[in-house]
Amino acid sequence: MKSLQINGQRRQFPPEEMPATLSALLEKLQIGPTTVVAEVDGRIVRPEEFAGTEVRDGQTIELIKFMGGG
Amino acid sequence: MDKLVIAGRQFDSRLLVGTGKFASPQVMAQALAACGAEIVTVALRRVDIGNPQDDTLREVDREKYLLLPNTSGARTAEEAIRLSRLARAATNINWVKLEVTPDPYYLLPDPVETLKAAETLVKEGFVVLPYINADPILAKRLADVGTATVMPLGSPIGSNQGLKTRAALEIIIEQSSVPVVVDAGLGLPSHAAEAMEIGADAVLVNTAIATASDPCEMAVAFKLAVEAGRRAYLAGPRAPAERAQASSPLTGFLRD
Repeated sequence: MKSLQINGQRRQFPPEEMPATLSALLEKLQIGPTTVVAEVDGRIVRPEEFAGTEVRDGQTIELIKFMGGG
Repeated sequence: MDKLVIAGRQFDSRLLVGTGKFASPQVMAQALAACGAEIVTVALRRVDIGNPQDDTLREVDREKYLLLPNTSGARTAEEAIRLSRLARAATNINWVKLEVTPDPYYLLPDPVETLKAAETLVKEGFVVLPYINADPILAKRLADVGTATVMPLGSPIGSNQGLKTRAALEIIIEQSSVPVVVDAGLGLPSHAAEAMEIGADAVLVNTAIATASDPCEMAVAFKLAVEAGRRAYLAGPRAPAERAQASSPLTGFLRD
């Protein structure tokens, strides 16, 4: 099994189902366009870079969006 | 009304509005439109993986409003800087409302961490609007490192207590070289008017509008109060006097 730490939670994927890119990961998690930015192992990734950003076993990923706030 | 200028950008509205706590995105959108706000604050949070489609901000027209991301939730300068960088990457806007609030009960801002974060963020090209306690020396230190405003609190966030810090706010307003935005604790339009009457450049309101029975009507009430307070300030109010000062002539009475 391969695994990713996503928003503080560990998720496991059989090797053949491991998403190859950040875009593929969002699709797999059914996360729509509300995600405004991501962080992969501490590196900021903008939405336009999601498709070209490789996802690898063991990475820590933060998916972030805007919410109401004061 | 005269324009508010922050970091060289002009605004007609002196009422900044937070987008938290609204019952629905539609109510929020109506309230924002009703009060004419041009700057609206937003928070950055993790996507809820279990409910990924939830999007409370979908009704906010990003062409119409300047989104001002806050760093709420940050407890240290380091966390606030990280959130600011993420916000900039997300919006391509380099404005940030800097909040560092390690205390969970009163959500009071940490002055040391706030100043530290502000210094770094200004160097990185951010337009920094720091949320602070009403501390005139800290306000000056922040302006000295290049923040675009200072945002002293009237009372703790969401407390509706009004201007508990009035005396210190007056000193900040008197001394400040950058716009003073009174943020937090304004529970009634009269609180906002009071802040504007003593010379604040703007106010930021969230809870009082969002949690009112009729947020839209309360948004309008705040808009009018902010305008009234600003106009009163510009009109030059007179100081209170110890004794009565007759406004009718003291001669020509009928009794003599």
